[in-house]
Parts: sequence; C-alpha cells; structure tokens
Amino acid sequence: MLRISQLKKNYRQPDGQTVEILDLPQFQLGIGEQAVLIGPSGCGKTTLLHLIAGIISPTSGVVELDGLKLSQFSESARDRIRADKLGYVFQTFNLLPAFSALENVVLGMSFSSKRVSRSRALELLDQVGLSHRLHHRPGSLSVGEQQRVAVARALANSPKLLLADEPTANVDPHNQQQVIDLIRSVCSERQISLLLVTHAMEVANQFNRVDRLEEINLVVRRSRVTV
Amino acid sequence: MNVFKIAWRSIQYRGLGSFLTILSMALGVMLVVAVLTVYGLVNEFFRNNSSFGYNILVGARGSSMQLVMNSVFYLSRPVETMPYEYYLGFCDKATREKELRHSLAFQSLEQQRAVAEYLSQAATQPLANGWSAVAHSIANQTLADQQQALMKLDSEGEFAPYTDLAIPLLLGDSWEDTQTGIGYRVVGTNEKFFEHLILDLDTNQKFECSAGRFFRDQDSEVGYFGCVVGGAVARQAGLNVGDRLQITHGLPSDSGAHLHEQEFVVVGILTGTGTPHDRVLFVNMEGFYLLDDHAKPINDDSILAQTAAALDPFADEGFDDNAPDQKVAGGESNVVQDTGATDTGADPKAAPEKTEPSKMSADKIEPDPKLINRIRLPMEAREVTAVLVRTSSVDPFGTLGMFLPPRIEQGGLANTLNWSAFRPKRQQTSVQAVNPIQEVTALFSNIEPAKWLLLALTVMICVVSGLSIVVGIYNSMNQRHHEIAVMRALGANRTRVMTIMLLESILLAVAGGLAGWVAGHLLNGALSPIIEANSGVKISMFQFAPAELLFANELWNSFLPESIVQFRMSPEILIIPGLILLAVLVGTYPAISAYRTDVAKSLGK
Repeated sequence: MLRISQLKKNYRQPDGQTVEILDLPQFQLGIGEQAVLIGPSGCGKTTLLHLIAGIISPTSGVVELDGLKLSQFSESARDRIRADKLGYVFQTFNLLPAFSALENVVLGMSFSSKRVSRSRALELLDQVGLSHRLHHRPGSLSVGEQQRVAVARALANSPKLLLADEPTANVDPHNQQQVIDLIRSVCSERQISLLLVTHAMEVANQFNRVDRLEEINLVVRRSRVTV
Repeated sequence: MNVFKIAWRSIQYRGLGSFLTILSMALGVMLVVAVLTVYGLVNEFFRNNSSFGYNILVGARGSSMQLVMNSVFYLSRPVETMPYEYYLGFCDKATREKELRHSLAFQSLEQQRAVAEYLSQAATQPLANGWSAVAHSIANQTLADQQQALMKLDSEGEFAPYTDLAIPLLLGDSWEDTQTGIGYRVVGTNEKFFEHLILDLDTNQKFECSAGRFFRDQDSEVGYFGCVVGGAVARQAGLNVGDRLQITHGLPSDSGAHLHEQEFVVVGILTGTGTPHDRVLFVNMEGFYLLDDHAKPINDDSILAQTAAALDPFADEGFDDNAPDQKVAGGESNVVQDTGATDTGADPKAAPEKTEPSKMSADKIEPDPKLINRIRLPMEAREVTAVLVRTSSVDPFGTLGMFLPPRIEQGGLANTLNWSAFRPKRQQTSVQAVNPIQEVTALFSNIEPAKWLLLALTVMICVVSGLSIVVGIYNSMNQRHHEIAVMRALGANRTRVMTIMLLESILLAVAGGLAGWVAGHLLNGALSPIIEANSGVKISMFQFAPAELLFANELWNSFLPESIVQFRMSPEILIIPGLILLAVLVGTYPAISAYRTDVAKSLGK
C-alpha cells in the first residue's frame, strides 16, 4: 500500500543554511497493516506524514501510495489522490468550527471523486457513537467527541491509508483508549492501512508493529517496543 | 457539500461581522437604488410630459424655467401676472371683440353715447346752459370715437394669424384636503383647455372625464364656478361630482394664504393621464376672477370721470393712491353686464363657511341660482399668469415656433395696452415667450451632472462597503488559513479554496445588494408622498428605474455597433452584476492569500 525509498526532506533556513529534516532510506506498509511510528519531538514524524499525504514535496526520494508515485503527479493531482485514498486524523482534531459534526464528516468526502453520501456520514457517526450529536458544532462537543468526529471524517472517503498524527495527545486517558480502539477496529474492519504517530508508549504497546524514527531519521524496525 | 454551502457556512459562522458587512453594503446599495429610481422617474416624468400640444409659453418676464415649471408642471411659485390683453393678442376676431365689449372702456363709451344723445336732444330746447352742454357733448363724442377706434373691435389679435390655439392659465391658488392636509394646485382656465389641448401628439390623446363632464365657460348649472378635478386628486381626496369646495388664496405654504368664501362645484373628474394634470384642480377662469382679491384695482381715466372731475373738484378722491383700492370684483360691480347672466345682487359672502366639500348630488348637479347669476369681471381688472400657444399648422417652413417668441418679447403686445382709459394701478407689461421643450431639455442638461455626482458618492459608499468585506475577511485570515489548510489536507485543491473565498466575498456583496435593493425600494415607498408633493412625481414602492441608453456616449458611439448604442435597460439591472464584479475585485486578495496558504505550516497552528 505504501512504499517509501530514499526519501529526503531539507529546509533552507533564513540564513541560507540547509537543514536536513528527514532521511528515510526505506519504509513499507502493507494493505490493512497497522503500524505505530514513535520518536522524539522534532525527528520528522509529522513531516513524514505530510510527505506521504502529498501535502509537501520531498527533496528527493519516492513515495508510492497504492501504486502511484506521488512525485510524478502535479500538486493538483496529489490533492485528488489525497482526497480519494487518504484519511487524516490530526492531533488537534482540526474540525471546522462553522460546520456541525455531520457537516464536518460530509466535508471529508466533498473533495474526493467519490459520490458524497449523507447516509454514509450518518453511518460513520453512528459507528463512533455520535448519532445523537449530529447537528452540534465542534464548540459544543467534548474533546473526546471531537476526536471521534475527526476519526469519522477521516474515514468518510473510504481511504486506503489512514494517517493519524498523535490522535490521543489531547484526549483524557479514558477517551484515549476509546479513540485507539475505534481507529483500529474500523481500519481492521475495512482493510484500511494505518500509520499512527504517537508519543504514548501505552498506545504504541498495543500495536504489533512499532517503528522508531530516530533523530537520524533511519527507521529501526522492531517486532515490539519494549519500555 | 458544494463550495456555495461551505462559503455560506463561513459567513454564518462569522455572524456579527458578516451582518455588519452586509448592512454597510445594503446601505450603499439602498442609496444607489434610491438615486437611480428617483432621478430616473423624475427624468422620465418630465420627458414624457414634454409632448405638450403647444409650442410657445407666454408669461410675465422673469425666470423662464420658473414659468415652465409652474405653467407646465404646476410646480414652483408662479411668476408675475401679465395683462389680459396679451392673451387677446393671440385670439381671433370674434373672441377678441367679445372680450373687448366686456370692458369698462366699452361700457363707458356706451354710456357716453347715451349722455351725448340726451344732450343733443336737450340742445334743441332753449335752456340757459344749453350751448355749453352741447359743446361738451360734441367734444366727448369725438374723444369717444377716437377711443373706440383705438379698441379696434373688428380686428383680430396681433399674433392671431400665426396661432392655432391660445389658452389662458391663472395660477397661484390652491385647495387643501383637510382630511390629509395635502395641498393641490388650482388652475383657472377656460373650456378650450379640455377641448383642444392634446396630451400626446403621437396618439392624439385628449382629456376625458371618468365621471361628470368638463365645465363650460357659461355653465347653465354652476355658472362660472365649475371645477374639474385631476384623476389623482379625486382619488386621493375622495372627491366626487357634485362636491363643493372652497379654494385657498395663495399656496398652502404662503404666509398670507386664506380661504376664499366662494365655493366651486365639481362637475367632472378627469381620467388619469399620467401627467401633471392629474394633480391639480381646474376651475373656470371666470369664477376664478370673481374670487376676492383676484380683481386688479384700476384707475379710471375715462371721459366720464374727466367730465365729472371738471364739474366737481372732489370727484377723483376715490382714486387717491392712498385710499383703499377700488375693487371691481364679483357682485360689487354693476358697470358691466354679461350677455348671458343677470345680476340678482347675490351676496358672495353669504356662501357657507366650511372647507369640507359638501355633496350636492352624486350624479346630477342642480342649477344653483346663486352661482349662475353672477357678473363677469370686466376686462381691465383681469390679468393672466400664462398663455399656452400652439402656432399655426400652416407653417410650411416649421419656423413659427422659433421666430415668434423673439417677436412677442420685443414688445409687440405692449402696443395693445393703450385702448382703454381704465388701467390697473400696477401692471407688469414686459413679457417672455419660451419654447417649453427647450426649457425642459436645458433643465436636464443642468441636472445631469448632479445626478452623476450623487451616483458617484453612492457608488463610493458601495466601494467602501466592498472594502469592509476585505477587512472582515482579512481580520479573520489567521483562523481562515488554518481552516483552509484543513480543507487542503482533506483533499481540496488550491483553486477550490480560492473559489470558496471568492464566493464568500460575492455572497456577502449579493446579500448586501439584495437587502439594499429591497431597502432602497422601501425608502422610495416611504419617500413617495414627499417626492410627489414636491415634484409631482408618483413613485410606487417597487417601480424600477426607467430604462436608459446605458452604453451610448459621444466618445465611443462611433466605435460600437448600433445595437449596443441603442440598447436600453434599467440601470438597476446592473446593480447586482456590478456588485459581483466589485466582490470579485475586493475578494481577489483574500482568495490569492487562500491559494498561497502553506498547508503544512498552517496545520500546525
């Protein structure tokens, strides 16, 4: 599903110096596979997710998503691929405050080439346990509810790959487990590959595959993370 | 979810800010709509009513525009009056002779002849002073013959050969509807006004009555006190045939305005014509002259007066300038008898003292002896405000309307004033003759720049309102960048988010524009009574600004196809497209800003 090779991302600082943010020789994720990515702050985890999503372009290297090499596509085409094949759950939920829970979920499928289905949005919200909060705006939802809406939105376009960037960082421990369970179960159920970034070891420990993105940005693959 | 809904949700979310932006835009558009419709309708009103059915307007020397405004459109204050003889200068022989015979001068000559005849008979008898009386008689008879020669009873008016129609107008009085407090102008004229005046030359439209009939110069039912009411006045004031009303001397706003005691009887209601005539009441000029304060005080320089003065040194005391004016109004005069009426000595002060129209009969007017037995005012005590002249149709070169006014102004009419020994104490003899169409055209060439200035100001208000859209969006740009980044992360491309921002700007402008359009027309509806009272133009609430040649201009007419130059459309139609263009212009900056949003950076905020 996801194949990365020789991926590099550099940034040019205001003083003209080039800083290497990411250098990832190899990374793969199979269909329906679920992986956790851990690593210290600033090691490039979010940058990697942005590169996979096609939000930013790599300095060099290849990101191949569902057989499509993103670097071969224009920005507009990458937007379309993102809309069709990717789901994205953010650390700060990033729900649009002007829209109700239902509208936020509908918005998740509005930019894809697939048909917008209100019934699917209702089904997803029911699945995350929010069928009674359909028309509430994010401001009137609890933190846990907001994240569940964000999960429903990320799944709305039936993605092939779900990227989750510290989805439980702002959630209390009780809701944290609910969110993780929800993401994992839905991905398993629908054969959606999952790449989840987290700092929380109690979250990482629940996954069979944990990848550590070291400061040198080389992925060290282990079968299980040990504390 | 389409981009419209996304943009609209964003507007809804920023409720107060969006409301204030829409409000400021609505206020600007409201003013634009009000200026366009009011100016357009006033313009149309004056232009549509520029097909007069006459081509020369004669009045006392003064402002030509004022003459046109009050004589054609019944607006503004009337200019001075001019001698009645000036009206006769455009009349045929029969009309002129009839009027001249109805003068103090003619009556005085008749009496002088009677005296001379009596003295001639007396001279045959040997009386002490017989020869002296005969000498007086011969001398006076000679003077009388000279005066009669001056009257030229068998001549037509000086300008009659060039005239098809001449209608006198008497202005300056009004009638106030006590129910509503609205004042309407009163116009004194004669029956020719209704019979011969053409309202629309293209369709040959003439006056018609929706009820009753026109008054006649000598009316067997109401005498000289017939009144024909304009359609709009009748509708607004609820006047019907048979109603009696008292008119006010002067306009309602005049300090010396007072109610005339004499009543007029409504004999007819005009069918609506869409012209200024709908807003006035027409009364028989003979009745108008008989109202108190309408007769000019006169000096008596007649032979009889001279003879009396020679015999009695105190005889001319009555003409002392310091003494009260000698009134020759209504029943007070017994010098001139009209051929069709006899003086019964009816006292006009006995008329009922009420201002409410009292109904006589809804369908039929019973002859009223108090009204029909009145004496016409002698000619010397009369003046007119204006004369509507239609030049002769026998005008092979079509130049009469051009060369006649200068001749009239050069004093040709002043020569007609020295026929009578009875003269008004004060009289303006200088006169002006204008082409009303030229005056109206000149009026609009003067008003046009003011319209553009006013429109420019209101458009500036809209532009400022448009800038407030930018300010509103710009102020929330920080938050918007984050929202745009989220949408981009969900798969929206740059063009899509740019479109959403532009749409938001357009929706704000269109919402403001529609609200302003409705508010503008509500304002028109609210101002309608004031506009109608001051200009005579009736504006209904949702009446569009009239169609105009929108693309015609001398600068580029020759470069554009004829179909575009001649294309007419209401400028109101352009308001919403104009606003959309404005919104696109002012929304471009936020849209470009949205287009350039750094997704990765903004997602982290």
